[in-house]
Amino acid sequence: MDGKEALDFGASSDFPSLLRRQGLLGPAAQIGPMNKRAEITPTESTTILAFKFSDGVLVAGDRRATSGNTVVYDRADKVLEIDRRSIMAIAGVPATAWEMARVLEHSFQFFRRTQLQEMSVDGKVRALSKLLRDNFGFALQGVGIVVPIFATYDVKVSPSARLYFYDAMGAQFEATDFAATGSGSPAVRGILYYENTWGKKPLQKIDQDEAVVVALRALDTASEADTATGGIDRHAKIFPVMKIVSADGILTLPEEKIAELFHKRVA
Amino acid sequence: MIEEPYRWVEAVATRRDYIEMQLATGSPVVALGYSEGILLLTVGQQKLFEIYDRIALGAIGHPGDIERLRMAAIELASSEGFTRSVADVSLRRLAYYSLSPVMKNAFEQIYGAPFLARLLFVEIGTSLADDLFLEVEYDGAINLHPSNGGNTPFAVLAASKKSAEQMAEFLRKRFQSGKDLSATLELALDTWTVGQSKTDEAMPAEDDIRRQWRERVGSGTISAAVLERNSNRAVRYRAVEASELAPLIAK
Repeated sequence: MDGKEALDFGASSDFPSLLRRQGLLGPAAQIGPMNKRAEITPTESTTILAFKFSDGVLVAGDRRATSGNTVVYDRADKVLEIDRRSIMAIAGVPATAWEMARVLEHSFQFFRRTQLQEMSVDGKVRALSKLLRDNFGFALQGVGIVVPIFATYDVKVSPSARLYFYDAMGAQFEATDFAATGSGSPAVRGILYYENTWGKKPLQKIDQDEAVVVALRALDTASEADTATGGIDRHAKIFPVMKIVSADGILTLPEEKIAELFHKRVA
Repeated sequence: MIEEPYRWVEAVATRRDYIEMQLATGSPVVALGYSEGILLLTVGQQKLFEIYDRIALGAIGHPGDIERLRMAAIELASSEGFTRSVADVSLRRLAYYSLSPVMKNAFEQIYGAPFLARLLFVEIGTSLADDLFLEVEYDGAINLHPSNGGNTPFAVLAASKKSAEQMAEFLRKRFQSGKDLSATLELALDTWTVGQSKTDEAMPAEDDIRRQWRERVGSGTISAAVLERNSNRAVRYRAVEASELAPLIAK
């Protein structure tokens, strides 16, 4: 046992550093001089929105993944469960984002198992921030930009529903009512702001059905002008993915329920 | 002195006595299959742990050594689960391939410190027949408890061989498969009580066991955890809550 090991009391043992020690996760991308742009067009995907409503937080995302002008996939799932009460939704490059989600999911579990307690909400929010920061070099090189939303429910504090959005460098911002990211987000932000301010009720007061309708209308509007957003595919019957995080944990809304509300209130 | 083979054998034997003596006051751990999965129960300080989605650990020994082994197990399982998938995290491999050789090595390197720990891992499978109860001794020996197709889905960890035998004998007589959690908690505490008897005492009579609960448990806290087979969550491990243990303490 060398001196360094003798002084290691396990304090450095967070999951990403364990992965790096074993060579399973690349080092933080270096930010150096860039002589040329990336020669590949990365697959990207986008429009994500989230807002607080009466039960908790609703997170919704369209299903389209694009590469330049090409639609790569029409059933991408960009709203990901990280643990029992946390959702990460991604806009940007899925390859990087899904890897981040995987690291994050394992990090939270690894922390709980090793430290024998849940990671705090602040700790979780910070962990994602750190992953984004480590990825910033790739984002600059044009091959791995990810701009996520993180929604969680902290039973220990009030208000319990917590919603954060990030920029590509890893800055975290806590949203009071709603957040949207991705190429279709300007339209969505407009709609959510309008609904929240001049709608029948503020977003935080509306019930689940009403929340689903707002999310569907917002995504449909986003896809109207933004080609990178799938919105609602009326022919192939592809609906956005919606998840709700509340005191009971995470609920993935069944597609039939979304379809029913869509046909009644949106179509 | 240990250049001679005989000296080495003698030193290892002395070391075995020393470790057994160190472990002699450990509080037993009981693992029992029940209708919805596997229950782990013990009394005293925290020594039931979540290792991975489907694997749990109970231990007797020095907290520092338990901690090192527990961390190693979590790290191994987590990096395997991360790089491949949850389905590729195997208790058999974790024990045979990773832990056992290291523990054997530490035990036989008689100038270094051995692990003062005895471990009981349980892994929940998709069916009763896939459940695994696996004991790793301080010398790296592995004792795999077959569940006999679900007829004997139980294992115990005790401070001494004699206690472990008494507990196993008690369970062979009393265990019935498919019981619910509350009945299984009671049986587990009965079994723990049997394991707490002094080794030179005869096994307590059935009526005595309940009477001994209170004095044996004393001021210690009962802790229990379950691995649930048909949970809709990926993580099957759950600590049994105080409210579920309350009826047990009231008795």
